[in-house]
Amino acid sequence: MLLGVGITFVAFVLTELVPGDPAAANLGQRAIADPAAVQAFREHYGLDKPLPVQYAVYLQHLVTGDLGQSEQSHRPVRADLSEYVPATAELAVTSILLAFVLGITLGVVAAVRRNRLTDQVLRVISLGGISMPTFWLALVALYVFFFKLGWVPGSGRLDPGVLPAPHVTGLYTVDALLAGQLDVLGTALQHLILPAFVLAAYNVGLLTRFTRSAVLEVINNDYVQAARAKGLPERTVVLRHVLRAALPPIITVGGLAFANVMTGTVLVESIFAWPGIGQYAFHSATTLDLPAIMGVSLFVAIVYIVVNFVVDILYGVVDPRIRVT
Amino acid sequence: MSVQRLPLRFRISLRRTPGTLGSAWTQPLAIAGMILAGAWILIAIFVPLIAPYDPLAQSSQLVLEPSSAHWFGTDELGRDVFSRVLWGSRLSLPLAFFLVAMAVAVGGILGGIAGYFGGWVDEVIMRATDLVFAFPTIILAMAVTAALGPSLRNAVLAVLVVFWPSYARVVRGLVMSLGQADYVSATRLLGASSRRALVVDVLPNVAGPVMVLATLDLGNAVLLLAGLSFLGLGAQPPTPEWGSMVNTGTQYFERWWMGTFPGFAILSVVLAFNFLGDSLRDALDPRSSWAVQGRDR
Repeated sequence: MLLGVGITFVAFVLTELVPGDPAAANLGQRAIADPAAVQAFREHYGLDKPLPVQYAVYLQHLVTGDLGQSEQSHRPVRADLSEYVPATAELAVTSILLAFVLGITLGVVAAVRRNRLTDQVLRVISLGGISMPTFWLALVALYVFFFKLGWVPGSGRLDPGVLPAPHVTGLYTVDALLAGQLDVLGTALQHLILPAFVLAAYNVGLLTRFTRSAVLEVINNDYVQAARAKGLPERTVVLRHVLRAALPPIITVGGLAFANVMTGTVLVESIFAWPGIGQYAFHSATTLDLPAIMGVSLFVAIVYIVVNFVVDILYGVVDPRIRVT
Repeated sequence: MSVQRLPLRFRISLRRTPGTLGSAWTQPLAIAGMILAGAWILIAIFVPLIAPYDPLAQSSQLVLEPSSAHWFGTDELGRDVFSRVLWGSRLSLPLAFFLVAMAVAVGGILGGIAGYFGGWVDEVIMRATDLVFAFPTIILAMAVTAALGPSLRNAVLAVLVVFWPSYARVVRGLVMSLGQADYVSATRLLGASSRRALVVDVLPNVAGPVMVLATLDLGNAVLLLAGLSFLGLGAQPPTPEWGSMVNTGTQYFERWWMGTFPGFAILSVVLAFNFLGDSLRDALDPRSSWAVQGRDR
C-alpha cells in the first residue's frame, strides 16, 4: 500500500521534471499560438493548479479507481489500459509459460549431464539468452521466419481482414476458442508464437541457470540415492524426487521473470506492432502524457506486487514447510 | 605488531581458500570472455586507425550489400556500416564502465551508510531502493529519459537511476552481516575507529560480491543503453550508436545488414561481460550459479 503511494509519487515527480510543456506536446501548431486554447487545455487537465493540489486531486481520483484522462488519446487512462492490457497479457503469459517449460527442461538436462559437453553447451546457450538484445533478436527472427522462410505471418495480432472473436477476455486465442472460431484461433496463434519466443529468450537463459543449480543442490541427497537403490527408473527419480524438491527455488524466479517480460515487451511490441501496454507506455513517455505514464507505471507495479505475492503462495504450496503468514 | 595483524589474519580465514579467484582465469569461458572484451577494448582505443571509412561520411552508394569494399554494406545515407559498428564501441564501452563505476560508488556509499548506521537512515534508503525495484527497469528508465528529454546523457542518467539500488542492497547486507562478525568486533575492541573498521575490515570483504555484480551489470548497462537508444530516447542520429543503428535497420527491414551487424556487436560485448561475470561468480561463490558442481558427496 505504502509502496503504491510511493509509486504514484515517483511517477508524479518524474513527469513534473519535464522541461517540455504538455500543452506544447499535445496541442497542434495552430492551437499553441492561441493563448485561449492553451489556457483551456491547462484548465481542462488541471495544469493551472499548484502541484500539491494536482497530486491531491490525482490521488483522490485514484481511490475511486479513476486514473485520469490521457492527454494524447483524450480518453480515460483506464479505458486505454483495458484495451491494451489483454494484448500484453496474452503475449506475456504465453512467453512466461514457454520460458518455464523450456528453461526447466534445459536446466534439468544440464544438471543431469553436469560437467559434460551438453552441460557446457547449455551454459553458453543460457548465457547467450541473457546477453541477447531483445529488440535485435526480434528483428532477426522476423527477418528469418517471416521474410525469408515465410513460416509465420508478420506483425500485428491477426491477419489483415480477420476480425477477432467476440470480446470476452480480450485474449484473442481464448476468445476464439470460446466462440469456437478455429480459423481465428489459428491466425492468432501464428501471430503469437514468434514474439512470445523472442520475449522468452532472456527468461529461458535465466531459468536454465536457476534450475540447474537448484537440481544440483538436491540430486545427491540420500533419499534420491534411496529412490535409485529401490530400482526406480532414472526418469522417475529425476522427475518425481529431484525436480519436486528443486521446484521451490525455481518458483521464486517467477517475479523476476515477470519483470523481465515487462521490460522486453516494450521493445518487442514496437517491432511486432503488437498493440499492448509496452507500446502505450512508450508513446506516452515520448509525448509526455502524464496521466498515461502514471497509469501504466502504477498498473505494472501493482501487477508486479501481485505476482510476487502469488509466487509466495505457490512457494508455500510446493514446499509445505513454508507457511504464508 | 600482533595488534595490527589480527584483523588481517581473520579476514583471510573468512575468505575462501586462497587462489580460488585465480582459478577463474583458467576456465575456457573466462578466457573467451577476456579475449572478446579485450578485442573490443582494443577496437575502441584504436578505431581511428582501423575503421576504413569516416563513420559520418555520407556517399552516393546507398544501401549496398556487404562486399569487399564495404564488409558490412552501407546504410541509407551511404555510410559504411562496418566503420560505424567499430566506432560504436567508443560510445557503448566507456559509457558502460562509467555507468557501473558511478552505480557502484553511489549505491556502495548509500548502502554502506544504511548498513552501518541502521535506524531511520537505513529505513529511508531501503524504501528508496524498494521504489526503484517496484518498476520494471525499462519503464522507469523510459520515464526518466522522457522527462529529462531524449539524449545520450539523459539515457545514461536514467540507467544510473535504475542501477544503483542493487549495489546499495548488496553492500548494506554485507556491511550488516560483517559488522557483527567477530573479527570486526575484535578490531573495535582493540580501539579502532568505526571508520577504520569500515574501510580496513569490512570493505575488502564487500569487494568480491560487488565485483561480480558489477561485471554482470556492465553487460546489462550496454543492453539497457542500446535499448533506450533503439527506442529513440538515447543517442540521436547521426551518432554511430549500436541501438539506434538497429532501429534504422527496422526501418529498412529487407536490408538485413543494416540492423544485423550492430546487433551482433551488442551481443558479443554483453556476452563477453557475462562470460567474465559468471566465471568470477563461480570462483568466488561455489554454491551459486554454474559452480555448483554436484560432486558426489
